[in-house]
Amino acid sequence: MSTWELFTSGFSVLMDPYTFLMVIFAIVVGTIFGALPGVSATMAVALGLPFTYSMAPVPAIVFLVAVYCSSITGGSITAILFKIPGVPSSAPTTFDGYPMAQRGEAGKALGIALGASAIGGLVSALAMLTLSPQLTQAALSFSPSDIFAVTFMGLSILTCLDSKNVLRTLISGLLGLLLACVGQDPMYAVQRLTFGSGELIAGLEMIPVLIGIFAVTEVLKQTTATKKLSADEGNASVNTKMPSFREWWGIKWVLARCSVIGTIIGILPGAGATIASFLCYSTETKLSKHPEKFGTGIIDGIAASETANNAATGGAMVPLLSLGIPGGNAAAVMMSALVLKGVQLGPLLLVNQPQYLSATFASMVVTNILMVFVAIGIAKIFAQILAVPYSYLGPIIIMLAIIGSYATNMSIADVKIMAIAGVLGLVISACHFNSAALILGLVLGVICEGNFSRAYTISRANLVAMFARPVAGTLMAVSVVLLLWPIVSPLFRKKKD
Amino acid sequence: MFELICNVLLWAGLLYAYFFNVLEAPIPDRTARNPYTLKPDIWPKAIIILLLVCIAINIVNIIRKNRGNTDFTFASMFDMRIRRWLGIALVVAASFVLEPLGYMATCFLVLFLYGLLLGQTHVIRLFVFAVLVTLLLYVVFSVLLSVNLPRGTIPELRNFSLYVEGVVSSVKSAIGM
Repeated sequence: MSTWELFTSGFSVLMDPYTFLMVIFAIVVGTIFGALPGVSATMAVALGLPFTYSMAPVPAIVFLVAVYCSSITGGSITAILFKIPGVPSSAPTTFDGYPMAQRGEAGKALGIALGASAIGGLVSALAMLTLSPQLTQAALSFSPSDIFAVTFMGLSILTCLDSKNVLRTLISGLLGLLLACVGQDPMYAVQRLTFGSGELIAGLEMIPVLIGIFAVTEVLKQTTATKKLSADEGNASVNTKMPSFREWWGIKWVLARCSVIGTIIGILPGAGATIASFLCYSTETKLSKHPEKFGTGIIDGIAASETANNAATGGAMVPLLSLGIPGGNAAAVMMSALVLKGVQLGPLLLVNQPQYLSATFASMVVTNILMVFVAIGIAKIFAQILAVPYSYLGPIIIMLAIIGSYATNMSIADVKIMAIAGVLGLVISACHFNSAALILGLVLGVICEGNFSRAYTISRANLVAMFARPVAGTLMAVSVVLLLWPIVSPLFRKKKD
Repeated sequence: MFELICNVLLWAGLLYAYFFNVLEAPIPDRTARNPYTLKPDIWPKAIIILLLVCIAINIVNIIRKNRGNTDFTFASMFDMRIRRWLGIALVVAASFVLEPLGYMATCFLVLFLYGLLLGQTHVIRLFVFAVLVTLLLYVVFSVLLSVNLPRGTIPELRNFSLYVEGVVSSVKSAIGM
């Protein structure tokens, strides 16, 4: 089947009114699930599974893909409006989205988030349809040392996140990396830094820490300054206006880079949307002409994070469909549903059952376009909450944080971790440390250490051999320069003066 | 001063962790003998060493910056307002009482008490709000999303949760859900 035939047959599937309605239903459900704290994309897909039991295989895959894509986008709504990342991959969206919402630019922030999500999703869908086999081969040729170098490059942002506080930002990032070590070591399952607590053996769950540091800390800060938050100045409802063409044109390279990086990261097994959004946010901070503005509420930050996490959804579908290897947890849930439906995932899918690839593509395209309109409607409903006095809204955020943390694993320990993370967020703020750097370290820590250990063993403890590969060597050299430049450049300047 | 104390405590805590808590179980013999594996304690220890150095520099910077600052006293450490301390206490307490009290009572208490803490003076309105939001969140997460919210271990509260669940399930069956 040619690419064009795949293209047309995919859309003919969606011409069926029942399938089309199911896509719209899936977008509504997925966006709401994504916006609710504690309901991750994986959980959203898992919750969508029962709906597919009575469906034929093609509508089932169309439905699940729509839930998956829209849940990732839905996470940005609460990230921007309440500083609660609905899904972990929306955490970097809070860095710039929430300050914009506080400035009365929630509408523009949401417009950028939804538009960028759609662009990222569409680019990755196209890549999935046209370059699936090549992309899979490229991703599979990545060795552990290459993946380590990619994540290390993400960490090299640490010295750039706050140029006036390089040391404190570095300490925050290192603390995040140390927190990622809590629990069992990735190679031999030896317990580390658990301080005798059985509840920490599995490590720190990402969602409670994110919710604690972002949402709970914010409410605790507001406790001494009771006020009514308004989404748009003088207007309780959010006017979800799309940014101007000029603003979109200004971030064209951000959208292009993050779509490509997000798709590639999505393909890498074990990486996924969260790593993609953090890596792209860090990359854009490095490449920006005004890195000091990142974190203060600029559209580049939101676009980087949201383009990447949606591009990763298409990326995750590539190895799932063409090799039968799920790129992430949500893809794994989808895989189980498709296998139950008799779909033979793997290299023969394109030969024997090409309709699934075309249906996935068409579903992703339609979802990413329709999602913008559906999400605007849902965002408006969520935004009404902002008109509620903070004495009502604050307690609701605390309760959503508690339930969201608990719902991740049905674990009371996660709620305690969330509460401790909330207090830790206050301490971080009082000590002028950087919570974004801490989260970056925590997110990248596990994948960084795991791949470093594997690469170390494969290279028989030879560090030179580890980075002798072209990809790893180049990325490491670039990372070291990027990491040291903000520290070394002032010394050069002093000498010059 | 708060910043300095936090940094010193963090430094001391990391030093303690370096010597006593990095590994909580012995490294398997085969791993220990293999010269080509990265021992499980190497990575965290390397991070701790870097942190000890960075925090030590930060401590020196804080002391230098505040030399001659008359406000740099132990008393200034307790500047944080009482309401924020109460907020912290409430959040931490909620995470600990969730298991014995269960979702219903914890949610109601958090919504009501935190509302008071944030300056809400209409007590009756707040009471009604707390009851309604408790039920709304219960319906969204427990009924629609099938999240098994904790019922509590105190018999009376557990029975109340079971009673509410019974009412909800009879409503569900009545409307054919």
